[in-house]
Amino acid sequence: MAHKPTDEEAFGVAVPGRTSIPSGDNSVWADVSPLLHGACQDLQEGELIHGDNFNLFAAMSALEIMDPKMDSGIVCRYYSLEEAIENGAAPVPVSVDKTTDIRCIIDIMDHLLACEATWHKGHSLAQTVYSCLYLLQPDRTSSHALLHSYCRVTRATCKAVLSVVSDARTHEEEDLFTMAYGLPLSVDGDEKCLSMLNAVEETISRQLRACKSSSKRRVLEAIEPLQSDPDQEGYCKALLCRLRFRKHLYHLLMSIRRPQGRGLELARKHIASCISEFDCILKSSEFLRASAQGMCEQNIEDTTASGCQAIGFDASLNCRSSAPTPPRSIKILSWKKAVQYFVKLLQDLDIICAYSLDPSLEAALNFVIKFQKSQPDLVARSHLQLLLVQDGKLYGRIPMFALITRAAGLPEVTKDHDIQKNEFMVQLEQLVMNLLKILCTNVAWQRRKLGKMLQDWRVIHVQLELAFKKEFGEASKPSYDELCFKIFQQILMWVEEQTYWIAHRFLILGFELELYSVHDYCMVYWYIYTVLIKLAEKTHLRIVMNTGTAKKKGKKKKDSFKDAGRDYQMPGAVLFLQSQIYLAEGLCMMFSALKNEHVIAAPQSPFNTEHEIFIQQFELLRKACLPDNISYRSFKESTMHANFSNLVMCDYFKEAQKIAKDAKSCFANDPDKMSELRRVEQVAEHNSVALNLICRIGAIDRSLKVSFEFSHHPVFATAIVKRS
Amino acid sequence: MEGETQQPSAPIQENSSDGPRQISSDRVNRVKKLLFRRMLVGIKDGRFFLGGFYCMDKQGNIILQDAVEYRSTRRSSPSPMEQRCLGLILIPSSCRISCHVDCSVEEQLSLLSLNEKIVALD
Repeated sequence: MAHKPTDEEAFGVAVPGRTSIPSGDNSVWADVSPLLHGACQDLQEGELIHGDNFNLFAAMSALEIMDPKMDSGIVCRYYSLEEAIENGAAPVPVSVDKTTDIRCIIDIMDHLLACEATWHKGHSLAQTVYSCLYLLQPDRTSSHALLHSYCRVTRATCKAVLSVVSDARTHEEEDLFTMAYGLPLSVDGDEKCLSMLNAVEETISRQLRACKSSSKRRVLEAIEPLQSDPDQEGYCKALLCRLRFRKHLYHLLMSIRRPQGRGLELARKHIASCISEFDCILKSSEFLRASAQGMCEQNIEDTTASGCQAIGFDASLNCRSSAPTPPRSIKILSWKKAVQYFVKLLQDLDIICAYSLDPSLEAALNFVIKFQKSQPDLVARSHLQLLLVQDGKLYGRIPMFALITRAAGLPEVTKDHDIQKNEFMVQLEQLVMNLLKILCTNVAWQRRKLGKMLQDWRVIHVQLELAFKKEFGEASKPSYDELCFKIFQQILMWVEEQTYWIAHRFLILGFELELYSVHDYCMVYWYIYTVLIKLAEKTHLRIVMNTGTAKKKGKKKKDSFKDAGRDYQMPGAVLFLQSQIYLAEGLCMMFSALKNEHVIAAPQSPFNTEHEIFIQQFELLRKACLPDNISYRSFKESTMHANFSNLVMCDYFKEAQKIAKDAKSCFANDPDKMSELRRVEQVAEHNSVALNLICRIGAIDRSLKVSFEFSHHPVFATAIVKRS
Repeated sequence: MEGETQQPSAPIQENSSDGPRQISSDRVNRVKKLLFRRMLVGIKDGRFFLGGFYCMDKQGNIILQDAVEYRSTRRSSPSPMEQRCLGLILIPSSCRISCHVDCSVEEQLSLLSLNEKIVALD
């Protein structure tokens, strides 16, 4: 690179370290600043200099340098970790004064907790927990038992949490979470963090006992006092609850992962301990705030109990040094929010640990769905998933085939039948496992995966059916195995029912994700109605087969099925679905009447016709032929004649209300089903009144305004009628 | 190298003696010729960005594509440089303190002569 000196001489530009930014071969760096400056003067306002491939839209997404929200690389204080440490950014001990040292260490603990919660909420480890300089250089703290043990247990905890999330692979949407390249996450000796922590805890509790007794007389114990002022007791207490929380949290994470749910009992005990330590931690805040007054830098983001700025953290340092961190600045949760997050996490984990280890598949699925309603975060969802599916078994205990035979209503003896070696049965088991896993993921991802999974369920049904026909096609076969026949038949039926169950879940998740607009409601309710009809039909068939009370029934027409409730007592599960069927049908008809009577204006969108929207919304269902022979035309045909005069003749809402009332008697012991039925009843009642009003005056009074809200039920809308 | 494919030295010589109006549009043309070339921009906090010159507006804000960030690991120079890829970046003119383009020695001389002329004309 002989030209380098000439370059520098010619321009006299002081480019620090320029030797490490080489120009091309046989070329030099020429200063163009004056040229650019001149060109700017010549440019017209709004004019740009750009090439042919310029795309303004893409250019808008450029990362803006020196923008604090986008540019994480802004040099703040230090150029590197080494420089920061040399400059005393993370001293060990934090202070030579014992009291100050302890005070600062408590702040570090609190800030680390806030960082950890922020990490759990989906940010990268590098920008959160590993913004702590003490964690980045593990050996530096070894002379300071308290800080060292706390750093160790924090690292070990992060490692355990990270492994849960990456094993569960539920993090697709939150993929920053598991990025830990280049960070010292596995450090030798961290596995012994608990014994270190115990030793430190022991020392401090002795210290605490000493200060308690020293109020009467001076202690002669040989322990070196941690600090030498009257606040000793408060600091000791604040430290102890923090250390104990860490200890129990780590124990909890270890025991919850023991195979076959064997550690769940123990895990619950540690959860209870964690929560009670949290109470102490929260209480310590008052003391810490009072004693920190005027002692330290104000903590703007409030990430510590004392309100002081924690020493030894610099997120900007680490943002750069670990490559996968996105160059975005983040906000660490406040200490209070972090505590709230952890309490919620602990409660969610407690729900998981408290659940039965021997549920039916239906119960397990409903449990996951109910659990998801409380919006658990990634870590809790990952734990649930890993517990549910272990070694291809539910809770590592119940083989999938046994679970399926139970769900299909087959007798106990079938669960070990050789038929489970059939390749399609093996595939079916895999599908059930996947279903359980998918239900543990976040809602958006879940819906997409469920939609795609529908086709797999359809295919497995066809394959099982073919295998079934092949086996029993010729009835005269000598080795006619009646049990085998029954297994095939019931499982086939169950697969169909389960497929419609998934389709239904897929449709209703669209409401939760707000994927439907008001104009789509009509077709969505219509689709829900058709799927529910099928689901109820399959459920009914299964129940009838299981109880063996009725003779084998062939395929039912959907209308005849709906009226079947007249002559004999319908099973509760079917009544439950029926109430929803009527409600969905009622809503669909109400929407189409409102549209046909022009109370709701059709959308004037230049982009999509109603037909196109129909195809887009239900593409995945239609690909899987759920239900068969469904098309935009069938939707149009069933809704085009709806108007105010014929709608009032058949009040679906009244029917829904009535059935919901009947169904309640079947679910006296099931609070979840009861509350769902109550909600259905409420929506039906409201809509029935609204519909009457609309039908009576809608035709005369054109100023009628109808709007919808989800105040009573997350899926079924309630109509609100107003005169404008 | 992209730089070698373009030969901007000839037009500089031709147009540089024309009136100020021509010079003005000529400066814009000259910057246009720098598009897609490797550009090294230094900013106030001591970092450098190296990337393909993608766009510049009247205010002097520059967009680089496939940019790499370079920074020293110590405040005291010289020190080893650290680098990372950033992709498409916008460097506001307010924080830019230097700007270099990768070019051949001959081209550099012509750019230099142009710079001097501009200074003289201003």
